[in-house]
Amino acid sequence: MNLTLKIWRQEGPEAKGKMVTYKVSDISKDMSFLEMLDVLNEDLATKGERTVEFDHDCREGICGQCSLVINGQAHGHESHYTTCQTHMRSYKDGDVIFIEPFRAKSFPVIRDLKVDRSSMDKIIQAGGYISSFTGMAPEANSIPIHHEVAESAFDSAACIGCGACVATCKNSSAALFLSAKISHLAKLPQGKVERMERVVWMVNAHDDEGFGSCTNTGACAMVCPQEVDLLDITRMNYEYNRALATVRS
Amino acid sequence: MAYKKGLFKTSVGRKNLMAVTGLFIAFFLIIHLVGNLILIIPDSWFPIEFWGGVESAHDMYNAYSHFLVHFWPITLVAWILYISIITHVIDALLITLNNNKAKGDKYQVTDNSTSTWYSRNMGVLGTVIGLFIFIHMAQFWLKYKVLGTEHDLYELVVTTFKQWWVVLIYEIGIIALGFHLAHGVESAHRSLGAYPKGLMRVIKYIALCFSIVMAVLYAIIPIIIYFK
Amino acid sequence: MALNAKIPEGLLKDKWQNYLNKTNIVNPANRKKLDIIVVGAGLSGGGAAASLAELGYNVKVFFFQDSGRRSHSVAAQGGVNAAKNYKNDGDNVYRMFYDTIKGGDYRSREANVYRMAQVSVDLIDHMTAQGVPFGREYGGYLSNRSFGGVLVSRTFYARGQTGQQLLLATYQAMMKEIKRGTLTQYSRHEIQDIVVVDGKARGVIVRNLVTGEIERHSAHAVVLGTGGFGKIFYLSTLAMNSNGSATWRAHKKGAFFANPSWTQIHPTALPQAGEHQSKLTLMSESLRNDGRIWVPKKKDDPRPPGEIPAEDRDYYLERRYPAFGNLVPRDVASRAAKERMDAGYGVGPLKNAVYLDFKTAIEKLGVDTIRERYGNLFTMYKKITGIDAYKEPMKISPAAHFSMGGLWVDYELQTTIPGLYAVGEANFADHGANRLGANSLLQASVDGNFILPNTISNYLSNEIRTGKIPTDTPEFDEAEKAVKEQLQKILSIKGTMPVDQIHRRLGKIMFKEVAMSRNEKGLKWAIEEIRKLRKEFWTNVAVPGDDKGMNSELEKAGRLADYLEISELMAVDALDRKESCGAHFREEYQTEDGEAVRDDKNYMYSAAWEWLGGEKWKLHKEQLEFKEIEVKTRSYK
Repeated sequence: MNLTLKIWRQEGPEAKGKMVTYKVSDISKDMSFLEMLDVLNEDLATKGERTVEFDHDCREGICGQCSLVINGQAHGHESHYTTCQTHMRSYKDGDVIFIEPFRAKSFPVIRDLKVDRSSMDKIIQAGGYISSFTGMAPEANSIPIHHEVAESAFDSAACIGCGACVATCKNSSAALFLSAKISHLAKLPQGKVERMERVVWMVNAHDDEGFGSCTNTGACAMVCPQEVDLLDITRMNYEYNRALATVRS
Repeated sequence: MAYKKGLFKTSVGRKNLMAVTGLFIAFFLIIHLVGNLILIIPDSWFPIEFWGGVESAHDMYNAYSHFLVHFWPITLVAWILYISIITHVIDALLITLNNNKAKGDKYQVTDNSTSTWYSRNMGVLGTVIGLFIFIHMAQFWLKYKVLGTEHDLYELVVTTFKQWWVVLIYEIGIIALGFHLAHGVESAHRSLGAYPKGLMRVIKYIALCFSIVMAVLYAIIPIIIYFK
Repeated sequence: MALNAKIPEGLLKDKWQNYLNKTNIVNPANRKKLDIIVVGAGLSGGGAAASLAELGYNVKVFFFQDSGRRSHSVAAQGGVNAAKNYKNDGDNVYRMFYDTIKGGDYRSREANVYRMAQVSVDLIDHMTAQGVPFGREYGGYLSNRSFGGVLVSRTFYARGQTGQQLLLATYQAMMKEIKRGTLTQYSRHEIQDIVVVDGKARGVIVRNLVTGEIERHSAHAVVLGTGGFGKIFYLSTLAMNSNGSATWRAHKKGAFFANPSWTQIHPTALPQAGEHQSKLTLMSESLRNDGRIWVPKKKDDPRPPGEIPAEDRDYYLERRYPAFGNLVPRDVASRAAKERMDAGYGVGPLKNAVYLDFKTAIEKLGVDTIRERYGNLFTMYKKITGIDAYKEPMKISPAAHFSMGGLWVDYELQTTIPGLYAVGEANFADHGANRLGANSLLQASVDGNFILPNTISNYLSNEIRTGKIPTDTPEFDEAEKAVKEQLQKILSIKGTMPVDQIHRRLGKIMFKEVAMSRNEKGLKWAIEEIRKLRKEFWTNVAVPGDDKGMNSELEKAGRLADYLEISELMAVDALDRKESCGAHFREEYQTEDGEAVRDDKNYMYSAAWEWLGGEKWKLHKEQLEFKEIEVKTRSYK
């Protein structure tokens, strides 16, 4: 099939960007969305034009590096897919596809469709871990964890840190990303020791990085490739309030 | 703990404030509604033994409003309510300003199928409600309680609602209120951290029922009066 | 230069302890005077960076992704092995050691493998403490599954995303160290060269992928945790940007490259669907626990798989290997699939796949159990192919997956360049000629977290008086100049052939002749073709743009330039080894029924190649000795 692509091109963080129209032809149904962009880039490279920069790595939906807002939706129109899992079989000949970078103040554009998501690293640095050093660990089976608790912790831990939640949020809030880590660790006994400091530090870091406030529209959970539950945000609010209300002796 | 930034300075803290004030206002709406339903009690129900053999809706409503104005605990609650509304508005403005700052450039194409329009437009709905409250209070509260120019509140209400455009303004305000509640009540519980799955499911259901019941009952009062 | 593996004295089970007893360590006060550069932020690199930072060294970690959480360890699905014997099924360190050696077809170093099995026990404790949500039994204790090539259940898992969970724990440990100020991360920085001063690794030249700037960084030791080079086949299960450049450039600076031709071809990936396909998605091997592999008995059977009755199905693994059945090691499973497909029994539109069927398991265990075990894999399969695998069998196909070969390292994980270490898949040490499932997460993690921090101190204890390494020395000047020249050279070609097209052609050559089955004629042909292609690359590659900012094509071209050299060494190595062992199957050396024939008399060695410049290498042999295990013909029948 033949498609018209309208792609955001921007030289650098300070430069002004614009939408540029490209045509691609002979796209097969079996291609993934990114393979379709590969075709475009090969075409551009052959002509000696600068290729379209876009982030991608594992191409199997787990690394979280691919981004893109396709026709207004983070990671494309299929809910809970990453861009790399989106395939061309859901498009038809003659379609016009708008491709834009993830947008938020905290995600400055580096070039074209690549954005800088290091603000998410900063959130994790603030406390998204268990302070156990190599060598400290007790025997793994010394802390039994209920099957359901482990499964539920996994649901939160599954977050791939792609930032689609931020890109899709009307407030550019990273609440879902932030809360997934807080919930993951708060659910497990190993993580409970630091739960209070963690949630306060991480929420502070989230705000300092310039992300917005969650207004519970639920759009983030609808696009999340790992289907992280909106209730994780609620859980985070609980943890936060609990921390504020608690005095450690 | 020195690392605490203060209750209302973080994104989560601010939402707590929204939630607490919002829920208090929602609670007030119930009380307010109960009083106003007196306006539409059919004449055939009178006299009502329970209310000391009151003869008419007219008498009953005025007695009720007199009670409200002169019973001091109600005054206290009223002041909490005023503060809540003002806080709710200021906090909303702060959150909105901050959220606007967090936004990047606008998307060329937006697809909003992932959330409801009213959850995205709480600010717009809130502004409509705010304007409505302004008109509402200028019409009744100001004249009856502050200036004291009107003494028969029932008469005032009935004559006001005989104008079709007033009814229209009220209906618009109440529809906005209904949608605001539909998202707001659930969202408030989320902000406060009611995280267990089962609990949230119940809250979601109750919040939806609550907003529908509130909106419908509030909406029929001006209409009934208009046609009475 | 003679190879010295520095294997400690004593019985196999005591070697690691003996080493730890005698090795030199660095005083905590001196550690902050010592700089360490770690390249790669996956399980091995990230684990090393975090653990070394915890010890108090000054650590810098470099990686090309935008965050450490993206490293390709993230994609490992099935699990991580450990000899915990929680199942009471007779597992222990020795049995794990035995399985790994046997799985590797007796081509790995005994002492290293035993050590890996020993520390595997600590790893599970460590990862659990870091918050990895491993699968649990209803009593709350850790659950296990079994994996290919073994008869016990020793694989710990977190649904089908074990690699992700271990990596995130490692990433979080790094983030913790960044907050403590002991670790500095350089994201979107790609290594360009290793700087060697007076015979010791003293720093790296990196390119900032955002600004295009070339930077110099010095250190007292350099650790490479840069993973494997399976992407050389273009179509592979690896991430698009995984590459062999760091190890290769270290090789050109003097580090020996061992067993480069041993590439694991994974039996359960998704088949190629079209010419422009960029990636073959892996379906975890754990699926073979409950899935049965078959092809129709009739060629070109037109019926849909559900309508083919059991008597018309050829469960070829169960037929050929009754003892292990569907759980034979990966090399055996891949070759058996290739055999069926070559014989014309392949399924799917391109006849390049076999069925992996869950019908029996769903009938026996119920769909819910299957969903809980493999839910995310089934979802992934649906997302990519649009097919519901609960209803019809998956179509799978072999794909390039893991590099058993890598930089030659001694027992301390040090390469032949003093001060340069290689951890995880970047080294060659533990898997022999074939890696067992769920051993790669294990090896990467233990190398980084438990082994390297204890061995690197032996080297660094002699560096406490060295002082800061200056970067304004001739060695740095020279390395930087060479890097800049190469980038300019690539940009100046302005040809007509995009990088990916050349890479695809290289991949085809490699997959045809240097993959599952090799022969002398094919390998010689491959070397010729690779040389031609390399020439074409250097005269006709099309890399637009400049080196002043982000330029993905330039990054890819640099990696491909290295692949075009690694590929030749792979073929040279495969040609040299006149036997069949593990993943290395030479058609000239097989039994009548197609099983591999090893030559222990002549080839019981690891081939460590020294680069002599140009297209020449010198072979150094590390003879392998098996003192505590009887060398047998590997059989899974």
